[in-house]
Amino acid sequence: MQPEAQSQVPVPRRSLGQAATTALRVGIAALVMLAGGIAYGVFQYFHSSYWTRVGLAEDQPVLFSHRHHAGQLRIDCRFCHASVESAAFAGMPTVATCLGCHRQVLTDTALLAPVRRSAELGVPLRWTRVTRLPDHVHFHHGVHVSRGVDCGVCHGEVARMALTAKARSLDMRWCVDCHREVAPDAGGREPAPTPTAAAGHLTNCSTCHY
Amino acid sequence: MDRRAFLQAMAASLALAGTGCRGRPPHGIISRVEGTAAVEVEWFATVMPSEGYGRGIVVRTNHGHPTKVEGNPDHPESLGATDVFAQAAILSLHDPVRSRTPRHAGNPATWEQFAEAWEIRRTRFRTNSTPILAILAEPTTSPTWLRQIHALLDDFPSARWYQHAPLGSHSHRGHLPEFDLAQAEVILTVESDLLYRHPAALRHGRALAGRRLSEPGKPLPPRFYAIEAVPSVTGAVADFRLPMAPARLSAILPAVDRCLRDPAAAPGLEPAADGFVRDLADAMRRARGRVVVSAGPACNDRIRDWSDRLNLHYGRDVVRWRRDVRSDRNPRCHGGLADLAAAITVGEIDTLVVCGLNPAYAAARDLRYGELHARIPFTVHLGEHWDETAMLSTWHLPEAHFLESWSDLRGAGGIASIQQPVRLPEAESRNAAELLHYLRSGTTAGSETLVRETWRAAGANDEDRWVSWLQRGIVDEPMHGDEFVTPPEDGTAELPPSVGKADGLSALFTPDPNVLDGRWSANAWLQELPKPLTQLAWGNAILLSPALASRLGVQNGDVLRCSTASGELDAPAWTMAGQADNTVALSLGYGRRSAGPLASGLGYDANLARSAESPWHTAVLALRKTGGHALPVCAQGHFQMDGRDLARVLEPAIASPALAPAHRTSLYPPRAGGNPAWGMSIDLSACLGCNACVLACQAENNIPVVGREQVARGREMHWLRIDRYVTGDPAQPRFVAQPVPCMHCENAPCEVVCPVGATVHSSEGLNDMVYNRCIGTRYCSNNCPYKVRRFNFLDYGGDARAAGGANPRVTIRERGVMEKCTYCVQRINAGRIAAEVAGRPLRDGDVRTACQQVCPASAIVFGNLADPASEVSRRAASPTSYALLDELNTRPRTTYRAALRHPPRP
Repeated sequence: MQPEAQSQVPVPRRSLGQAATTALRVGIAALVMLAGGIAYGVFQYFHSSYWTRVGLAEDQPVLFSHRHHAGQLRIDCRFCHASVESAAFAGMPTVATCLGCHRQVLTDTALLAPVRRSAELGVPLRWTRVTRLPDHVHFHHGVHVSRGVDCGVCHGEVARMALTAKARSLDMRWCVDCHREVAPDAGGREPAPTPTAAAGHLTNCSTCHY
Repeated sequence: MDRRAFLQAMAASLALAGTGCRGRPPHGIISRVEGTAAVEVEWFATVMPSEGYGRGIVVRTNHGHPTKVEGNPDHPESLGATDVFAQAAILSLHDPVRSRTPRHAGNPATWEQFAEAWEIRRTRFRTNSTPILAILAEPTTSPTWLRQIHALLDDFPSARWYQHAPLGSHSHRGHLPEFDLAQAEVILTVESDLLYRHPAALRHGRALAGRRLSEPGKPLPPRFYAIEAVPSVTGAVADFRLPMAPARLSAILPAVDRCLRDPAAAPGLEPAADGFVRDLADAMRRARGRVVVSAGPACNDRIRDWSDRLNLHYGRDVVRWRRDVRSDRNPRCHGGLADLAAAITVGEIDTLVVCGLNPAYAAARDLRYGELHARIPFTVHLGEHWDETAMLSTWHLPEAHFLESWSDLRGAGGIASIQQPVRLPEAESRNAAELLHYLRSGTTAGSETLVRETWRAAGANDEDRWVSWLQRGIVDEPMHGDEFVTPPEDGTAELPPSVGKADGLSALFTPDPNVLDGRWSANAWLQELPKPLTQLAWGNAILLSPALASRLGVQNGDVLRCSTASGELDAPAWTMAGQADNTVALSLGYGRRSAGPLASGLGYDANLARSAESPWHTAVLALRKTGGHALPVCAQGHFQMDGRDLARVLEPAIASPALAPAHRTSLYPPRAGGNPAWGMSIDLSACLGCNACVLACQAENNIPVVGREQVARGREMHWLRIDRYVTGDPAQPRFVAQPVPCMHCENAPCEVVCPVGATVHSSEGLNDMVYNRCIGTRYCSNNCPYKVRRFNFLDYGGDARAAGGANPRVTIRERGVMEKCTYCVQRINAGRIAAEVAGRPLRDGDVRTACQQVCPASAIVFGNLADPASEVSRRAASPTSYALLDELNTRPRTTYRAALRHPPRP
């Protein structure tokens, strides 16, 4: 080994060739676009009705039509959803409520067979939930209805739905938009800039999350 | 496998995984068949057995699931408060290891098989009088149970009824003194835990606190004296506490008598006791007529006669005697456990039915009850757990939980209540009255039928009246024998002078404050709850005074071998300030062999050294170190803030200067106060340190249990803790208990360090915790000077999700998330929503936190600080009010009022 001799040899400056550089640049650009594309795709996925279920009717054991009952027959929402004015849960009608009318009308239609079977066997009727909030959100129907929020604000025009579908995404931005607007103490209709600056409690985190 | 095959398998499994995806499962929503749609929250009034006496409770059910117990404000033994056990009962109800199936010789069996086995015997007992049937049960106040046992004794000529009260009795010669602490001027307790372990403890706590809550212009609180060997909850809140071995009582009490007769007499005792006795006698003479003296279950008959006599002479305005409503002295009872043991020894007992008790574990070991029990040809054990007695019995039958069956109970003051179930039993189980009815008649009758039958004469057939009894939780019919009685004055007016040698080492057996005699062993909340005063969790230790420990050269955790005439045991030592010298305290309820996976093998079994003759204290023959070391788990050092003036003590007579300092300047912009401005005031004078608030918080807020090992690492999750302060001479210290929830600082140090805005201030002054934002940096906890934030290290909440008793109004937190006291924000929201739906403003008292609601002493008050008329504003404005670590200028919304304790008379 001769260290001196080695140090005299100039180390060649290594660089990529023209083609490799181009390939690298194209590759980087492709990666960025791919990442952007994935991000866009994910964003679109979570805003798509496939994820939010907005406008998609769920499979139900009985082909119940709100358009017929609430629209054409003009039955009040509260006739079936009885606790909507006082409780957190709007309330589902009991099978006895359904049969209260359907013992007189449409008594033997095949459509209502699951309802009759439920009453005969004493087994509750299990519907598929259309509107659902995440577990860490505490929503109270009573306080919204008593404060004059119409059912349709959140549930859409149920009276025109043959098959019931979710009408709004019910994401947090959508809730908070409304809370900022109607907060009685927040100073008119101006949205409060930050939660803590709002005098009203409606934009506190703990109004819904606890 | 080669590379190619491996890749093929990978690709195939990936493809298969893809085909399995089916999107989110649909969520169901139920239409019930009939009735009303599910009611969110319902309350049921019922009654809880506490050593046979009844305490009124109301149980909250959410969508039909029982989730929380509160006190029944209409019930005179509850007054809206509960003890720790009522809070823990909801966990026991949902306990998955509760016994669910009958067992024959240890193997699962059915009730029908038991019926077959019993029917042969039943016909024999009905006609013959030779093979003897014995029933062993705890004394009770239940009229239905007593009716059943009387019917059984009538029908079966051979039947005998034995009673055993493992925790002793507060009544003496069949009379239970009733104390009016609200009117008393002097209170003396002798080995009596009047405020924690007494049938009327909740009533006493409320009355004493009412006197101690400082108000301008109010008369001074009573002077409270306690003589006891081991610090108890009651002794810790007394103004004056004299640590004294039981053997020395026979010297102290005659000295009290002497000083009462002659003010100039010298007690002739050691200096500490001398001053105490003089001061006590002086106070008693001044307050003649309004003196309460209570001697506890561990005292012998002479001391209890003495206390009755003092009450007669000095307490005529505040003490009355009732005939004890518990069946201890029922004339048809054949005796106690020792009598039963004697009968078994001579082979008299052919069949034994044990109702609810576990004597194979909880009886003094020198009785050798287990061996005797196994000797009986046919034994039946009715119990909630597969415990030591169940294992030795021919038949074990699952007992119905008191929240799953009908019964009736009477409170210490005589008031009767109907115990109604709050849900259907999960498994086929029966309560003691049902079993007795079955044993006698051979037919099953529902517990409701039996209770109704008992109360038919009082009008139970009248449906309206019956429903009103159930709704109010009390029966407003006067009971026979409710009138007050005067105890016959004992002829021997004098206590005999000192007997036995007082200088020997004695062992004291104390029911564990959390699991008692082991009846609550299987309850994880009670196991994890730091015990009052010792702060030990998940186990027990031999308690000894600091002086004795230093004489023996013993450190905390050194294993000691303690020998008495009855036996010996090895257990870790723990020094306890304020314990009488020359005593060791052995606590019952641990060292269980069969108490489910939680409690089996925890701690040591004090019964090994206990004698049935003298169950509460005995002489220690030898106490020495074995060389082993096993440090018990203690929460005392966790979340420390020591070294500052945190728990303040003042004298009630002196008009103290305001403790709250002037407003400090801050770099942070002032926050708008908001209206309502939520705040809390905790009165340290009233606080008993009974731990009820800690468990109420745990039940209300779905706080998980972390287990022994995690508590040892300081990871317990209690949102509300009780700090214990011991000041002064370790031989005769002063104790102060201080509950510490989140302070909800206006300038909250936690908020400014959170990188993700997971803890933010609400417009009403709450320090909100947003679980879904939290990423678990724990900066907030580091920056919290009060150490009230808890971190969920290992998904402790996992089990709570599976159990049925969780409160659906509170999120169950995930692993890796910080959590802490929210001021029960779910109750704030519920209160506000109820007011808004009703169209009225929120009033003071609409929102009560779980800790406030349960407190027997009304020490905790919560409300709107922006409303000057609210109770919390009045308390926070009082001169003795101060903020914790005020010098940090965090401006806490939770404030304290100093503890007021009388000074010795000069």
